[in-house]
Amino acid sequence: MPGAGAFTAFLGASSLRSQQDDRAARSGTDAHDCVAAAADGDVRAFEQLYRTHLPKVHSLVRRMAAGRDTDELTQDVFVRVWQKLSTFRGDAAFSTWLHRLAVNVVIERFRTERTQRQRFQDGEEIFETLSSPPRRSDLSMDFDTALMKLPDGAREIFVLHDVEGYKHHEIASMLEISAGTSKAQLHRARMMLRKHLGGRQERGDRT
Amino acid sequence: MEDAFTDRLSEYLDDEDLGALERREIEAHLGSCAACRIVLDELREVRAHAQALPDVSPAADLWPGIEEQISPAAHGFSRAAADASMVARVKPRAAGTRRISFTVPQAIAASLALMIVSGGMVWLLRAGGEQTDRGIVAVERPRTPMTPANFADPQYDEAVADLERTLEVGRGRLDPETIRVLEANLQAIDRAIEQSQQALEADPANMFLNAHLATARQRKLTLLRRASALATTEG
Repeated sequence: MPGAGAFTAFLGASSLRSQQDDRAARSGTDAHDCVAAAADGDVRAFEQLYRTHLPKVHSLVRRMAAGRDTDELTQDVFVRVWQKLSTFRGDAAFSTWLHRLAVNVVIERFRTERTQRQRFQDGEEIFETLSSPPRRSDLSMDFDTALMKLPDGAREIFVLHDVEGYKHHEIASMLEISAGTSKAQLHRARMMLRKHLGGRQERGDRT
Repeated sequence: MEDAFTDRLSEYLDDEDLGALERREIEAHLGSCAACRIVLDELREVRAHAQALPDVSPAADLWPGIEEQISPAAHGFSRAAADASMVARVKPRAAGTRRISFTVPQAIAASLALMIVSGGMVWLLRAGGEQTDRGIVAVERPRTPMTPANFADPQYDEAVADLERTLEVGRGRLDPETIRVLEANLQAIDRAIEQSQQALEADPANMFLNAHLATARQRKLTLLRRASALATTEG
């Protein structure tokens, strides 16, 4: 049954995220102390911040950049965080500030490549045909892999909106596009990805 | 089947900036359109998957490279000096290992070599009659820099030709829709490869173009490998 395994994975991941959030809440004071110490130049405190936030930052960078230069970009993010720590005022949660900075680093890196990438980007045709539901289960791609194959613009917006939880007006500001474009690209991405979750309508399994 | 309302379903799902009138209009349509209800459920499922994606840590510890750039004790760097050091990037490495730096040609060479080895692996897997992935393959780094944009790649061509022969033999086992999808993909990939090669002729050292070419060629191998596996087992 398509989707059953994915649903189980969803439940597992939800539980995992909940545990992570609980740990984050318990360590809130420690985190605040760490940020303050790191802002004062304490490298060990900054290492603790790095280790706490690495998985989320690395995942964000990896999905935004579709796996390109992920480790190098993640390093750049943390170096930038170190440089900018003195500007962190605590108006938002540190993790919110950090993630926004990570998004900016990725956007800046690829902004210069954007023209070239658009020239040579595989058209939607390739994804849609590749994403047609395979007749054999061993050919199916997992959701994360499918996400990586989205066209750059649609993928970035999908990651920012559906994975990271940004609103369209925030995405529009970050990417210097209109909110309407953000909505259209998000819908485009979702319509492509839904085929990887079964494409039940096309296959007639749901009739 | 998609209709005029399909493109508005994401907006409806997210409920961002959607007016009350529009919402009622879409809800009225959903009440009478089973196809749109199915699409809406699937979009909801996609969003749920995205929100539940697990976080993934890098394979190697990135801290040594970061510390090298930020540590005032190690380098006497201020934060401003660290900013300047961003130009000379420090590659991440596993903890306890010696750092190896690459020049641009070496990096390109490594990329191409990886592609060649991957092609060779496909050939070996096909020759051995195996159809399953072997997971991570250890690849020795090349010691001799290669010339960028060198399209002559006999091992890759041989692997592709071998897979194409296998596919041709088993083509009759595939249904017409699968063949159509496969051919459309191969044509698109071949176009991407051709465009990259043409662009590289003008700018042979361009890292992005070299990486794009390697990705496109690797994608072709992967697609052929999958299709060949399907053609030899289908039916």
